[in-house]
Amino acid sequence: MDDLKVLKEMRADAPEPGAERLRTARCRLTEAAEGRRMPYRLGFRLVMAGALAVAVAFAVVLVRGGGEAPGHLPPAGRLANPAVVLEQAALVAEKRPLGSAPRSDQWQYRKYLTVQSDGKVNTFEEWIRYDGTQSAGHGDTGRLEVRRLKPDPGDDDLSPEQYREKLLRLPTNPAELLAQVQGDRHWIDKPVEDPGGGEDPGARAFRVLSVYLEQQAVMPPKLEAAIYRALAKIPGARVELDVRDAAGRPGVGVYHESGRNPISRHYLILDPRTYRLLGNRMLHLRDEVLDGEILARAGSAHTTAELASGIVDQPGQTP
Amino acid sequence: MIAETEPVERIDDAALIRHSLREPPAFAALFDRHAPALHRYVTRRLGDSLADDVVADTFLAAFKRRARYDLGRPDARPWLYGIAANLIGKHHRGEIRSYRALARTGVDEVADSYADRVEERVSAVAAHRDLARALATLSAADREVLLLIAWADLTYEEVAQALGIPIGTVRSRLHRARKKSRDALGGVDPSALDDEESDRG
Repeated sequence: MDDLKVLKEMRADAPEPGAERLRTARCRLTEAAEGRRMPYRLGFRLVMAGALAVAVAFAVVLVRGGGEAPGHLPPAGRLANPAVVLEQAALVAEKRPLGSAPRSDQWQYRKYLTVQSDGKVNTFEEWIRYDGTQSAGHGDTGRLEVRRLKPDPGDDDLSPEQYREKLLRLPTNPAELLAQVQGDRHWIDKPVEDPGGGEDPGARAFRVLSVYLEQQAVMPPKLEAAIYRALAKIPGARVELDVRDAAGRPGVGVYHESGRNPISRHYLILDPRTYRLLGNRMLHLRDEVLDGEILARAGSAHTTAELASGIVDQPGQTP
Repeated sequence: MIAETEPVERIDDAALIRHSLREPPAFAALFDRHAPALHRYVTRRLGDSLADDVVADTFLAAFKRRARYDLGRPDARPWLYGIAANLIGKHHRGEIRSYRALARTGVDEVADSYADRVEERVSAVAAHRDLARALATLSAADREVLLLIAWADLTYEEVAQALGIPIGTVRSRLHRARKKSRDALGGVDPSALDDEESDRG
């Protein structure tokens, strides 16, 4: 008797699960992968959030183009002087009233729109408890699902409450703010799997200040003004006019030009009057090629648009 | 030129993992490829109720470690099953208890856990009761090697990668494990089995 053959027959009727059975396990992965655990995670990564199906299609269903050479740069839009535009943004921002601190058991609400490079449109609503212990959103069935969040000390994400504490401690002098951000170990050492320290320092400072700007619900006005002035001081900071968000609203596109031949450009789009954040735009400047396959074509873009945000008492409520 | 497209191609796991470093959501494609079979394997080891969590934890751990994946390995199965082995190992008491119960009573609680209806419950064949007795007495390391080969269909080399051990160690652990399982089944001609082993890997 062949023992291995008999062993292979043992419990051989164990079933292989279908997609429905695997949904919860898959959701736990995609939540981590999309950064939705903390919805206000950096927009540059979040641009992809909610685009799971499309991103997967990108990765797996790849169509090879017929010999088109990469390196096709889309024409630049109208540029403006960053120092002038960002000073204007600072003057508007510092006149905003200072909001009061939410309670730990309140929820931060966000509704946003994403448009993929293939034109696919999605709207998302999400709630995160102010202390970061729970998040909520509508599942596939449309029912509100509340999830408990496990703390991950190796990650660079913070809860809204932690962001507020961090923001309140930051200097409101632009030069001091920039120096503080450039030396902040939090953004250099984390996330442990892909630490920020590997990044160009200017690009990292720009990214971190952008993350801070996305915390509009907990943003002290004087700090917001300092962030705009600090952004203008980073070499490579650019401002482009009439950049549209996912909802088609034109705004002031702020971006950082890093490296000699970057693969993509990440715009932070600000309302031209209020200088509130409208959304993000990630524009592919070159074909992204992996092992001879084109993952994204030059000129294609992922965009987002912030539709609503605010503090509410319960998940499922809107401001 | 865009109209001149070639048929869809499948990229290998390593390319997918590399791509996921830039675009984390792409990692879900690895889940879609390997989660069903991994889930079945975990179900076979620990039963239906633990499989969801072990699979979810395996992929979460894999996602976090993806920057350290050896991109020279096109197939991620050994890596994933190696991560799963550690998580399965945390439940070794329950696993051993189920083998002992099966050996003693002929009732396989693991098989019952995934059977749709109670009527489907079938008493285990005698040979499986004997094997369960052997599985209960194996060291965790030997059992892992044996079951990765018998139930996960990994080759010797893949088991070596999965567990981070030399291929010679895989062979010696498998040899030890199979000796016990053969003894439990009542013993056969050892020379015939040596021939079989040399066919594999």
